[in-house]
Amino acid sequence: MAMSRLYSLSPCTLCRPVLAVLRMPRGYSGASLGDSGKDMLEIPLPPWKERPNEPLPTKRARLLYESRKRGMLENCILLSLFAKENLSRMDERQLNLYDRLINEPSNDWDIYYWATEAKPTPAVFDNEVMAMLKELAKNKKKEQRLRQPDLEYLFESTN
Amino acid sequence: GKKSASAKVSDSISTQYPVVDHEFDAVVVGAGGAGLRAAFGLSEAGFNTACVTKLFPTRSHTVAAQGGINAALGNMEDDNWRWHFYDTVKGTGDGTAMVTRAGLPCQDLEFVQFHPTGIYGAGCLITEGCRGEGGILINSQGERFMERYAPVAKDLASRDVVSRSMTIEIREGRGCGPEKDHVYLQLHHLPPQQLATRLPGISETAMIFAGVDVTKEPIPVLPTVHYNMGGIPTNYKGQVITHVNGEDKVVPGLYACGEAASASVHGANRLGANSLLDLVVFGRACALTIAETCKPGEPVPSIKPNAGEESVANLDKLRFADGTIRTSEVRLNMQKTMQSHAAVFRTGSILQEGCEILSQIYRDLAHLKTFDRGIVWNTDLVETLELQNLMLCALQTIYGAEARKESRGAHAREDYKVRIDEFDYSKPLQGQQKRPFEEHWRKHTLSYVDVKSGKVTLKYRPVIDRTLNEEDCSTVPPAIRSY
Repeated sequence: MAMSRLYSLSPCTLCRPVLAVLRMPRGYSGASLGDSGKDMLEIPLPPWKERPNEPLPTKRARLLYESRKRGMLENCILLSLFAKENLSRMDERQLNLYDRLINEPSNDWDIYYWATEAKPTPAVFDNEVMAMLKELAKNKKKEQRLRQPDLEYLFESTN
Repeated sequence: GKKSASAKVSDSISTQYPVVDHEFDAVVVGAGGAGLRAAFGLSEAGFNTACVTKLFPTRSHTVAAQGGINAALGNMEDDNWRWHFYDTVKGTGDGTAMVTRAGLPCQDLEFVQFHPTGIYGAGCLITEGCRGEGGILINSQGERFMERYAPVAKDLASRDVVSRSMTIEIREGRGCGPEKDHVYLQLHHLPPQQLATRLPGISETAMIFAGVDVTKEPIPVLPTVHYNMGGIPTNYKGQVITHVNGEDKVVPGLYACGEAASASVHGANRLGANSLLDLVVFGRACALTIAETCKPGEPVPSIKPNAGEESVANLDKLRFADGTIRTSEVRLNMQKTMQSHAAVFRTGSILQEGCEILSQIYRDLAHLKTFDRGIVWNTDLVETLELQNLMLCALQTIYGAEARKESRGAHAREDYKVRIDEFDYSKPLQGQQKRPFEEHWRKHTLSYVDVKSGKVTLKYRPVIDRTLNEEDCSTVPPAIRSY
């Protein structure tokens, strides 16, 4: 049993999986009662929602965090670079498009495939922000992207 | 979001930060494959479960999605390293650090598996299929050096041999680039059509991260951390264990699964297809064990009123840190030290030097400087907290490696090339004198860190040799591995 102190300033997600209506037949033998033996794909995750009342500086800060914290290295570097180059000059509409792009797909790899044009981008994500991401992926200046950019650029003007 | 009925504002810690206490039957830290699996199993069993995560769970870790294999590369090795690699490098550090701070041991952190061809710096892995298709490794002199290390197999030698050869080339001054710290993977001698059809995705990855056109230039590569076999020690039920007076002892109420754990099915070297074990089996095992031992709604034991005070103080300290060294600088120093002193090539003097350097870098943590003083979505702060965690893991890895004076699985030492077991298993056992526990290395490392001083303590724990039930599955005695 556990007691958990949740500090209101930490970005964390409370996820109470709903005892889903979709119960799959148990695949494992010897499973305990109540364990559906579902594999990962059926576990429902909270759906993405746009945040219309979020102040813009907060939105930019959140999207920066979400760009840098991904499930795979390629996206971690790619989206961090995107955030560095673009977040500060995107307007609210563009920020919301980016929000949906990086937060709605449930598989991080899909975003990478779309950005590198290995797979066609679904219509719902095929917009100007996706075009900016594709352009970044092309690396026309042939830069060496050795690692995630450091965060100093955010504070250079205030130093 | 909504406050649950059991949430209460606490005023026992600090008045500077509003602290809210929530009560749950079970708290799962981390929403990777195993964590989510455990959380879901617990929830299904009726436990009021919270899942706390730094990032929104995506299915990049999932086995089941899209037929099981995700890759930026069309050509994929069987072992699906992508599911593990990233966690190991960036995420897995938090779980083991939490355990370390609680004064509990971590196990076998020195056993790190390397992939020979990660893109220099970025670390994105290039499939070994490249070499299978005719790609070759080149040093600064333009020499196909694998011909020297493996005259027959050449670039198709095993992963261990290739990684080691690359590292030796760099150590002996034939590395490429301004810092001579990597080698090249050359593909431009292959027909472009072959590259496109047999190795799709390589071109993109090489261009995106290395700025390299593979039809014209070679890719800078380096052996890269692939997987860490070690982690939080558990028994087969997923219960975290510690080792007291020569006996394994369960830590009641604490469980671990997935990348962070070391139930130790992998031992010293993980085999390819065993990734499923970690993700699915042990995540589920934890949930089942909890369901066997606990009931939903059981009263939560009380904790001291100021529990967590140290964590809040640490957070506050880092939020306003105004020292002399940036988080990014310390992190880079740590990574470079691990790369040069605790990577593929391990030998006594270099490991010892690495231990000293890393301990010095640990002391640098007291002089950190952060920039973002904000309270909402403070990436600078989170990455600094992560650095503290990564440092605790790195210390245990390098000190464990320095102490283990043998070669075993992924831990290969130039100065101690053979495995040292209690018997010499390459010969008949009859007539052999059994070595005492202190004089052989067929045992698990247990490492502790005193967080204040950075001092690492190492202890050892026997390997569990017997199966649970000899009738179901007989014990397999140790044997010398040969390729």
